[in-house]
Amino acid sequence: MKLFKRFFFRGKIDKSSARKKQFIAQKISRRYCFSAVSLFALQSVVASLGALELVIPDLPSPIPFEYGRAIHLALAVLWPLIGTMGMVYFFTTAELNREIYSPRLARWQYWVVMFFSLGIFSTLALRIGNGREYLEGIPILYVGICISLILASYNLVRTLMTDKRNITPAAATMTVGVIFLMLLLLPNTITFSNPITDEATKFWVVHLWEEMAFELTSAGFIATYFIVSGLAPRTEVEKWLYLEAVLAVVGGLYGTGHHYYWIGFPAVWLVLGSLVSLVEVIPVGMLVRMTYKGLKSTKIRSNREKLTLWLLLSSVFHHITGASLLGLFLTVPWINLYTHGTYITSGHAHLALFGSLGFAVLAGCYYILSQGSEPTLKGYKGGVLAVILLNSGLIIMSSALLVAGFMETYFWRVLGMDFMQVRFILNPYLSIRALGGAIFTLGDLLLSWRIFKAWQATRSYR
Amino acid sequence: MAITLISSRLPSPVPEQAEAGKSVWQRNNCVSCHTLFGHGGYEADDLTHITAQETSEYLVNYLVQPPVMRPNKYTRHPALNEADAENLVNYLEFVHTIPTLGWPPQQEEVEEN
Repeated sequence: MKLFKRFFFRGKIDKSSARKKQFIAQKISRRYCFSAVSLFALQSVVASLGALELVIPDLPSPIPFEYGRAIHLALAVLWPLIGTMGMVYFFTTAELNREIYSPRLARWQYWVVMFFSLGIFSTLALRIGNGREYLEGIPILYVGICISLILASYNLVRTLMTDKRNITPAAATMTVGVIFLMLLLLPNTITFSNPITDEATKFWVVHLWEEMAFELTSAGFIATYFIVSGLAPRTEVEKWLYLEAVLAVVGGLYGTGHHYYWIGFPAVWLVLGSLVSLVEVIPVGMLVRMTYKGLKSTKIRSNREKLTLWLLLSSVFHHITGASLLGLFLTVPWINLYTHGTYITSGHAHLALFGSLGFAVLAGCYYILSQGSEPTLKGYKGGVLAVILLNSGLIIMSSALLVAGFMETYFWRVLGMDFMQVRFILNPYLSIRALGGAIFTLGDLLLSWRIFKAWQATRSYR
Repeated sequence: MAITLISSRLPSPVPEQAEAGKSVWQRNNCVSCHTLFGHGGYEADDLTHITAQETSEYLVNYLVQPPVMRPNKYTRHPALNEADAENLVNYLEFVHTIPTLGWPPQQEEVEEN
């Protein structure tokens, strides 16, 4: 019992100095964000090596392609998750202006999520896995990730409950987002014998994490950022937030249908998936309108907030183009029938996963890790250059993949040529993809370096 | 909700050998290069209906004594033992029976000029 009490120790809150210093939760969130950015730096290196392996025959590699790709996908799911955990703690305390329920639990959660994430990467490197796309690690390790999410949900709910009269919509939205992350991952720790169930459940993470849960947590972050930086008044932000939250849940939930077209499910999903997907576009449009209005009327002076804004604007841009508009085009069943399972999907996935979610998490991580410092002019310029490199790298590689995908669609699916024959034709485009990936990696390493510098500069702050 | 529940009534029970084949498929991470139902890697052919195109003897033989994968000169397709290969082909035969609403699209004949 004593141990139980120690475990849920609330942490000392010194009221007089809490305002001047930082909340303990905000300090803890720094380690989440730092780990997320480090994993992101690793991600682009892994991805570049994979892209090279596809265009250079017989490239010697310690990890075979099939496990390299598995690590790439596991990283794509887990680094934004770790970053999001940090962001949620940071911005929840910022919104509520009070400490979280248990900082100790948040520290434990950090070690749990890091232990199991690294466990997934290293077992995959040793060629041990479960072979489900995006969830390639062995199921028991995902149980660990679930435990960390349960700790997070419990901690956040208790935080909200401590003072029920003082709950802001942004904080509530982020908490609901984290609870959804946990609920949607949970069924994926079970082994199903039927491939249809397997595929269907997989998309609760591949689609619903991205389109519903992460959408909610990012929305909370964006709302807080907009209010703090004065881009939009609180009332307007909260109006957007309510609508965004409702549409994310409704649109996200049944939008999953656009992944259920051809996996052995009834045809009703063809109608449902394509129609509900339309709903998913509305909140992004509203966000753009709000940002546009804010940027026209407000001038942001701080370079730190400006760099955050550049990252955030990149996220909004890719959210509209690569994720929503291209996504909407692909959800039309007659188009999807031909484009499904080609490089078009790959291009779309990069734009949607990194473009919209990745940039948003990076913006949050940068904002958190640079709290209490201003970048030098050189540092700011370096940061902007990194954002430009990331964007151009992403656009080059995704466009190359899209062109390759459309050719693949035409030759393979429409004309019915042999797959391997078509694959040879695509080689030049895959080389361009590798080039785009290299530019992206450059931007990634530069940005990570800048964030590392900001982290170092604010370290004494802890 | 109702639609979700209706969808969860799965039409296809899995035979035992196919279930063993599914674990072979997952253990060897086949999905990183190949696709099933169009989901997976983009490096190799979709295998949803492969058993309609090739005989099972050919497929088992391919897996047990894998050929060099073009355009590589040395790298071969990963190899399986006889039992695993047979289970895997059995699994692919089962996957072939799952109705996929007309996907992949009916291919027109390539006209050789």
